[in-house]
Amino acid sequence: MLSYIGKRILSLIPVLFVVSCVVFLVVYLIPGGPATALLGMEATPEQIEALNTELGFNRPFFVQYADWFAGIFRGDWGESYFLHQSVLDAIAEYFKPTLSLAILAQLIALALSVPLGIIAAYRRGTVLDVAAVSVSLLGAALPGFLLSMFLMLFFGVYHQWFPVAGYASLTEGLGEHLKYLFVPALSLGIVQAAYITRMTRSSLLETLYKNYIRTARAKGLKEAKVVLRYALKNAAPAILTAVGQSFGSLITGTIVTETLFNIPGIGMLTIGSINRRDVFVIQGVVLFVTLLYVLVNLLVDIMYGFVDPRLQPGRK
Amino acid sequence: MKKKMWSRIVAASMCSALLLAGCGSSGSGSGETKDSKEAGGESSAASELHVALAANPPALDPPSVNSNIVGGIGIHVYESLFAMNQDYEPTPVLAESYEVSEDGMVYTIKLREGVKFHNGEEMTADDVVASMNRWLEVSAKANTLIGGSVFDKVDDYTVSLTVNEASSDIIMILASPIQFAAIYPVEVVDKATPEGIDEYIGTGPYKVGEWKQDQYVKLERNEDYQPSEGAASGLAGDKTGVSDVIYFDVVTDTSTRIAGVKNGQYDVAEEIPLDNYEELSQEAGVKVTAERGGTLNLFLNTTEGIMANENMRQAILAALNCEDILMASYGNEELYELNAGWCVPTDAQWGTDAGSEYYNQKDADKAKKLMKEAGYNNEPLVLVTTEDYAEMYNATLVVQEQLKQEGFNAEVETYDFSTFMEHRADPKQFSMYITSNSYNMLPIQLSVLDSGWAGLDAPEVTEGIKAIRQAASDEEAAKAWEDLQTFLYEYGAATVLGHYTGVTAMNEGVEGVNYLRFNTYWGASVSK
Repeated sequence: MLSYIGKRILSLIPVLFVVSCVVFLVVYLIPGGPATALLGMEATPEQIEALNTELGFNRPFFVQYADWFAGIFRGDWGESYFLHQSVLDAIAEYFKPTLSLAILAQLIALALSVPLGIIAAYRRGTVLDVAAVSVSLLGAALPGFLLSMFLMLFFGVYHQWFPVAGYASLTEGLGEHLKYLFVPALSLGIVQAAYITRMTRSSLLETLYKNYIRTARAKGLKEAKVVLRYALKNAAPAILTAVGQSFGSLITGTIVTETLFNIPGIGMLTIGSINRRDVFVIQGVVLFVTLLYVLVNLLVDIMYGFVDPRLQPGRK
Repeated sequence: MKKKMWSRIVAASMCSALLLAGCGSSGSGSGETKDSKEAGGESSAASELHVALAANPPALDPPSVNSNIVGGIGIHVYESLFAMNQDYEPTPVLAESYEVSEDGMVYTIKLREGVKFHNGEEMTADDVVASMNRWLEVSAKANTLIGGSVFDKVDDYTVSLTVNEASSDIIMILASPIQFAAIYPVEVVDKATPEGIDEYIGTGPYKVGEWKQDQYVKLERNEDYQPSEGAASGLAGDKTGVSDVIYFDVVTDTSTRIAGVKNGQYDVAEEIPLDNYEELSQEAGVKVTAERGGTLNLFLNTTEGIMANENMRQAILAALNCEDILMASYGNEELYELNAGWCVPTDAQWGTDAGSEYYNQKDADKAKKLMKEAGYNNEPLVLVTTEDYAEMYNATLVVQEQLKQEGFNAEVETYDFSTFMEHRADPKQFSMYITSNSYNMLPIQLSVLDSGWAGLDAPEVTEGIKAIRQAASDEEAAKAWEDLQTFLYEYGAATVLGHYTGVTAMNEGVEGVNYLRFNTYWGASVSK
């Protein structure tokens, strides 16, 4: 098991290297530099040139890349020109809201999707099933921003139960923190739930018709035990994959939801830094997001082994 | 048995819901802070004002950045020697008085005594000299107009300004609100890097409490504020803050700003899209203001390829129908004005429609004839634009359509804002482009006259600027500007498409918001 994890972590290095190359190249090639963004619409070319020289953007490509790449290993991911802090500090700060939002959205998604998926599978072909499948299809088809706006209007404008946008950090109290995160998390959760519901339903359906389930029923076991312990457990790896993917996409920042609800998370940092041409932040964020995504996948792979020991790596 | 099964499933879902709620209640020890603040707001006039801005300020350093957001926040924090009053007259703020030498080359400016910075130190000539010399260096506008001028210290409360060339508008330039000459403590100026200052200390009615990037700038009332003489007027006079705290919340999404002002989370929402003007003006509990903000302009390449031909440029001007362009950009007749002038139409000195015979011509025959004379051979005309500014983008599409109708091979290239700016700065990469530009206080500050803007490099421009600045009287200066504006049209360098308004929405309970180039909030309060 440990050697498996070790191998997987080692295999991350080429992935990250390639990503770092590509990102650096793309950022290098897009027109407009931080100097243009920093100095505003009517800056003279001389001023822009001077600032570029000062910031080191007039050096050859490979020199800039080598400089940046070496820095990564020293823990120096560069400085943000706009945020006046180091890239790592910025990522750490902007990651907190994203993490909170992702966890809350994932919990909502699970609370909605797993019961719904179980009901749909168990009552296959009934009105309940059709309803659950239709709702989840609707959830998958509805664009996230539209759903967000509906929820914002409903909870924020008509009923005024929640603020329409904004963010309060955990230091202001958990209640306040959740008050601001609930509506965006609900919007993300519903979209993610749609996918997980369908995965739960289909994988549970597969197991529900297996021989061992029939045997379990024949033994006279209670239905709940049959479904929740025997069937669901065997359907778990597929559900886990769906959950892993959904968590991976949530935790790497949701640009639209964060922008709409004004949550200063990784998504907002990404789009903001691209607009501001804050190059080290763009590079840092993309690298960080890649790292997160592969780590979440690794974690899911490892968890398979716990859910279903037959899938443990190295097991014959 | 089945019933039992269902009840278990329901119980399981309830459990997960409870788990969620449990997360919600545990450890909410300090959760009362914001609630109590909000509850306090209901009791009397709230002393917190929330203003939703459309973008994150790139820096809180007005001299070095030409940005409305930076200027709009900056006027609450910093002050300059002179500022515009409501009648657009330069009025002393941190200065007390000034004298001009007979040859007009040296200005001796007396400073007000006893004015304290937010850090408690007194403002003296050292601070002023350092700030003003930095302003001359970093502010593109100042540099173009009075570059090479120097500020020197005379004594602790007197500075002198030695200019390169005598001109009637020096004090106007010092009072100009765009990239304004904020006075910082000398230590702040000394520590400034090319990226700007990193301590935000001024003498204004509010001090920067906290700046949370991408979230808000929190301003707290400066209790030691010493206003200059006279009642508040424009950006001058007594600007003592009314609200205790002003939050400039960064809310980039338009629909979120609108929803926020409707539900009262924001008291004021700036930069409301004109499409929402009608809807919001009918909304109960919300009021909408529209202030004339600037001009939408079309700039033509005057140096490269077929565009270097004056007949070609005149052909393009002849083909334009500005009403259609403005309607597409602003969507409501109340929100734009057809006028050929580059300055505020009501400005007694600079408002003129000289050259209007070249404006909004809608003359297809003339366009075709001039096009032929220019020897146009279906060369592609490139209109560069950006979707980041809807009005600029929409106008570009309409202009493309109008040009195509007259037989021009017009192409639109769309980029994100930064890339657009890059293309715009290089005459090899565009035939024409449209931008909306806020009003300038002086015509000589107009971007169109700057060769770095759209590459216009004609001796008539330099001479025209000179004539305005060296004019002996206001009338003479106004006449010189009229001539220069006519030249811009005759030469086909650029055309105003029309004048636009900026829309701000606010709750009915908000009082005391004024406008002079920016919304001013020091006199504003909200009763809920």
